[in-house]
Amino acid sequence: MPHARKTERGLLSLGGLLLLPRFEHSSGPWPQIVGYALSLLLTLAATLLVVHHLIAPLYLPAVILFLAVLQAGIQLGLFMHLREGVGPSWQIVALVLAGIVALGIVIFSIWIMAFKSGVS
Amino acid sequence: MTHLLAQLFPPSVLRPMELGADASIVIATVAIAAFLTRKRRWGWLWREWLTTVDHKKIGIMYLIAAMLGLFRGGVDALLLRTQLAVPQNTFLGAEHYNEIFTTHGTIMVFFMAMPFIFALFNIAIPLMIGARDVAFPRLNAISFWLFAFAFLLFNMSFVVGGSPNAGWTAYAPLTELRFNPSVGENYYLLALQISGIGTIATGINFLVTILRLRAPGMTLMRMPLFAWSALITSSLIIFAFPALTVALALTMLDRLFGSSFFTIGHAGMPMMYVNLFWIWGHPEVYILVLPAFGIFSEVVATFSGKALFGYPAMVGSMIAISLLSYGVWVHHFFTMGAGAAVNAFFGISTMLIAIPTGVKVFNWIFTMWGGRVRTTCAMLWQLAFIPTFVIGGATGVMLAVVPGDYQFHNSYFLVAHFHNVLIGGVVFGLFSGLYYWWPKMFGYTLNERQGKWAFWFFLIGFWVTFFPQYLLGLEGMTRRIYIYPHGLGWSLPNLVSTGGAYAMGVGFVILVYSIAYSARHKDLDLTGDPWDGRTLEWSMPSPAPEYNFAVLPKVSTRDAWWTMKQAGRTSIRLGEIEPITLPKNTGMPFLLGLSFFVAGLGAVFSWWPVALAGLGGVLALLVWGWFVETGDHVIPAHEVRRSETLPGRLEA
Repeated sequence: MPHARKTERGLLSLGGLLLLPRFEHSSGPWPQIVGYALSLLLTLAATLLVVHHLIAPLYLPAVILFLAVLQAGIQLGLFMHLREGVGPSWQIVALVLAGIVALGIVIFSIWIMAFKSGVS
Repeated sequence: MTHLLAQLFPPSVLRPMELGADASIVIATVAIAAFLTRKRRWGWLWREWLTTVDHKKIGIMYLIAAMLGLFRGGVDALLLRTQLAVPQNTFLGAEHYNEIFTTHGTIMVFFMAMPFIFALFNIAIPLMIGARDVAFPRLNAISFWLFAFAFLLFNMSFVVGGSPNAGWTAYAPLTELRFNPSVGENYYLLALQISGIGTIATGINFLVTILRLRAPGMTLMRMPLFAWSALITSSLIIFAFPALTVALALTMLDRLFGSSFFTIGHAGMPMMYVNLFWIWGHPEVYILVLPAFGIFSEVVATFSGKALFGYPAMVGSMIAISLLSYGVWVHHFFTMGAGAAVNAFFGISTMLIAIPTGVKVFNWIFTMWGGRVRTTCAMLWQLAFIPTFVIGGATGVMLAVVPGDYQFHNSYFLVAHFHNVLIGGVVFGLFSGLYYWWPKMFGYTLNERQGKWAFWFFLIGFWVTFFPQYLLGLEGMTRRIYIYPHGLGWSLPNLVSTGGAYAMGVGFVILVYSIAYSARHKDLDLTGDPWDGRTLEWSMPSPAPEYNFAVLPKVSTRDAWWTMKQAGRTSIRLGEIEPITLPKNTGMPFLLGLSFFVAGLGAVFSWWPVALAGLGGVLALLVWGWFVETGDHVIPAHEVRRSETLPGRLEA
């Protein structure tokens, strides 16, 4: 849309500083294509690790988790236009919230589902 | 061939009721097609509606879908209530009953309430914040068509292949393949997955629209409350729906590809499905009700002739509700037995939500206090909402008391509670918004007298239906049972409840009749501001022109349009009008929805070549949309001027 505003400042300008430099224009489809290929590769790697029992079960969750975090980073960086745009950096707020929600889901789910060890 | 036929038409879709539905579907389809052909309207349908990226038209299409969903879900409800009207009834069998309550719940949440909310978002939000369109118009159309084709896919289940039957929550292990081999659950998983993609995209779209496209001068704290509710709802969607995506995807992997995430055997964890489902499910409740809160905040201010009481407290309490809503999900499964610490934590967090909600209720009441309240239909729904929702909320707090919940859990007390908040909160709010914004959509108001008949039938029917269900729950009747014996004291409350359900059905029929009547006897809104409104959507002609605002408004206060009216700054100068650039229509979203439909249908029946063809179509369309399709069209200034000065429209 033509009238994205550039003037809004205030609460979020500090967040904007944290992610310098920021670009006004996207640099074509190549980051997306690379990101897509890398995502597919990482997913394939995780699947193969599980299906073919390539790693000892003890380390498997840690390795998969690592691959997942790596992929999340790639997708944020290459798909989500994280460092592009003008105006306030709402994405910082969104990222912080996303981090809190994700951590919360993991920690609480472990706490909630731990009942199995308590009763069985 | 016989195998294929047996797969497509198992005995469960060959019952008389389903065959009757087949017949009516064929008749309706032929009638619509014949009408379109006779009137030569196919091209019009494609150009004006199927390819549109105009948020107002997309909103109207969402509204039509929501009314269809309300019809289907409502018929399901009447079938359930008919079966339960008397003891030992043989109207529906056990399996049939399971299928119908599953469809009822799923449709009402995903294909009635959600599209109804998106309808009102689409119609009102860009107009309220002074924007030309949403931030991503084509994505908006994609969201709609993913939803629409998912709705079609889900609705096919009961006539082709068999309905899902594991409840709208689709808990493992009820959905596990070896316990539930029919394709019904696949329909549920695929349809919800496809519409979920659209829903997340809508969340992103409205979040960005509200953050980036507000009119000059409209700071966040000058936004109408409905825009605030849409902003908060959008962020809830973005953070909550992925949990549902994961839960559905893992169940799909279990059913279609032999994994064991939620299975009983092979170290699967069925309760993890329940956990994931409600991590989405509880925020979803607020995704449904916060927009209704937003609608009520607009309606109560407009029809009391006063600014909303306690605006900052209203915003703050909505934010508090949205944050708390992420921390309460275990209250849906206290009886899993996670232990005293877990249950106490989630019981208390649940009760905390009552505080900001109570703040909002008091603020609505104080808004009316000292105002000149006009009891239009929109306002009646608001007035009915307050006591209804307070009682629903109070029974919710009862359910949050963990020891009590062990008694109430899965009883009709729970059924009555969530219908009390979902109908009394969400549906009343949506009806209120429907009456409120109808003139802005179509240029005429709905008939008020018929609307009041519909209102009273629906409201009284609602209480007659659900109050006895509280008593039934306390008498020990559990949900999802299809038959009960004589002599338990359940017979009379059930009969009364069924009577109430039919009264609600009558209310719905009156509403639909009233819509048809009002469309024929148009009570035109020539002012653009039939309710003496306070927010920007009432500053433009009705129905809203394609380009929304001839000149983008400059905002200096809350209730911007009210301030403009007080200051006498209501007219626009024709000299200010400039050419307006709008995005072009495109068939890509419709075709993308169709491709997802083909992929989904292929996956439902495990016809992998079909599924891959559908996914290939998806990929091709995305690439095509990315590289090839761009373009705007420009409305010249003289056309805007002519449209603004049409007879009966704004004086210039």
